[in-house]
Amino acid sequence: MSLIANSVTKIYDKGRPSEVKAVDNVSLTVNPGEIYLLMGPSGSGKTTLITILGGLLSATEGVVTVNGEDITKLKENKLPKFRLNNIGFIFQSFNLLSALTATENVAVPLIAKGVSRKKSLEQARSLLKILGLENRSNNKPADLSGGEKQRVAIARALITDPAVLLADEPTANLDSKNGHEVMMKLCGIACEQNKSVIIVSHDSRIKEIAHKVLWVEDGKLTKEEEGNHKKVCPHENLV
Amino acid sequence: MLFIALKNLFQEKTRLLISVGGVAFSALLIIVLVGLYQGWQNKMGEYIRNLPADLWVAQEGSKDMFHSVSVISLEDENKIKSIEGVSQVAAFSGRQLEVDFNGKQAATYVVGFDTSSRVGGPLRVIKGKSAPSNGEIIIDKIFADDNDLEIGDRFPIGTEEFEVAGISEGGSLITFQYSFVTKEDAERLFKLQGVTNYFMVTLLDDSKSGFVAKRIKELIPSTKVFTRREFVDKNTEIVTETFLPIILVLVLIGFAVGVAVIGLTIFTSTIEKSREYGVLKAIGIRNSQLYLIVVQQALVAGVAGYLIGLGFAFSLSLVVGQFVPEFITLFRVIDIVWIFGATLLMAILAAFVPSRRIAHINPAEVFKA
Repeated sequence: MSLIANSVTKIYDKGRPSEVKAVDNVSLTVNPGEIYLLMGPSGSGKTTLITILGGLLSATEGVVTVNGEDITKLKENKLPKFRLNNIGFIFQSFNLLSALTATENVAVPLIAKGVSRKKSLEQARSLLKILGLENRSNNKPADLSGGEKQRVAIARALITDPAVLLADEPTANLDSKNGHEVMMKLCGIACEQNKSVIIVSHDSRIKEIAHKVLWVEDGKLTKEEEGNHKKVCPHENLV
Repeated sequence: MLFIALKNLFQEKTRLLISVGGVAFSALLIIVLVGLYQGWQNKMGEYIRNLPADLWVAQEGSKDMFHSVSVISLEDENKIKSIEGVSQVAAFSGRQLEVDFNGKQAATYVVGFDTSSRVGGPLRVIKGKSAPSNGEIIIDKIFADDNDLEIGDRFPIGTEEFEVAGISEGGSLITFQYSFVTKEDAERLFKLQGVTNYFMVTLLDDSKSGFVAKRIKELIPSTKVFTRREFVDKNTEIVTETFLPIILVLVLIGFAVGVAVIGLTIFTSTIEKSREYGVLKAIGIRNSQLYLIVVQQALVAGVAGYLIGLGFAFSLSLVVGQFVPEFITLFRVIDIVWIFGATLLMAILAAFVPSRRIAHINPAEVFKA
């Protein structure tokens, strides 16, 4: 099992008058190849939850297990390496490094892992080719469209072959065509590469590729429904 | 991660230019100041260092050639010659004089030397006679240029006039220069009857200098004996003691300017890219790797600035030296190396604050749109 959250709670300013319970006793299990969609109003705690699941924020209570490792027990200095090897992040505003080309952006995590620059760039080019960006690999982010930037960000998230992908509003800054394209890429990644994918989004179209849709309100999971993944996924049908 | 550092650095070319320019300026300042210090110190001692004297005998209490007077009886010359291990003894007479010439004050240190043995004469004569006759004077090139003097011109000293017979080099004392007349002229000018200022002693064996110095002191108790090194140091003390503290302060200012310029430009860049650093942290890049990016940026700017500063320092000393004779620089390899080390230190110190900033970036913040 790729990602398990068990009774996760996050309280800000605990014990103070300003105390806020951003995540309240959340439990979920995302298996390899599954896509979970977290939906809910702004301020409901979705982003806090995803940052806890990604090991970027510590939970006040509860356990998060990624790829069999309890990340709530990992020391602060061990978390970066764990994230680098096990978790891929996709952000709403792409967050590419402006000074680097698409290929270099994708290669950064591999280089950080200690893979040679030449080999990292080769792998990055291959991945960009798979994502249909072979002709844009030498362009800097400023020269790429929103859809292209998000595909570069996806490639960056995948380059270290992580077990879990966490995507925060991946289609929010994209038009419907590019949004759909990114959705289908994420769908393909989950199905073909057997990755656990959690997407936080307001975009209800993503329900189409999700196995499950979880509703978050006031930090709690209030509703769970089946997504349409099995009905629409071309990759699933191929299998 | 060096490629990220380089890409970040070259992305904003104006900022890079300011950063490199600031370091270049500070390196230029430090290199030139240290070069001037070494140049002056070397120049001040050049003449004495090159005289054939292993020991200098002065009157007890005499400090150096410029700030005190030394008078020794010429009769003592034979006593010194009689000491075992002494090869040669030569009297040295000289005095600093200031002369009204062409409506301005011309300062020179006039040396009287034995023209037959040539001991104590000019180091390098570049024009005219290599030894003056009575009534003639050899002057330094800088002195000649400053006072528009040429061979054949007449130059007054006291109530007498001397004809310029030669022009020499290697006798500059920055604020004034050595001039050379015959021993007889000097004795008359300085009213030295039966006395001289110093004895220059040449030894048969350098290692016997301690023994000979001790014997001189025993035979002539009213004297003080200096080794060549000691005498050079005494006569260049004015540079080391007067200018060194000032130069040190200016070098520190140059260093601080360098740290501030690199620090500010790298810090601004770090602030601007704090979101990108946050993304890198979120992805899983360690703080140490991010610090390295900042340090590498500072080091690249530092090394580039240093090389430009070094180039400018050499060019400047060549060009300015043509127009300002007192602009004497000596660039020693050891100084070039330590200043390079100081520049690296400058860059590392400058990277400290930006690195602290990176440490405080919360990677979870990147999820905020």
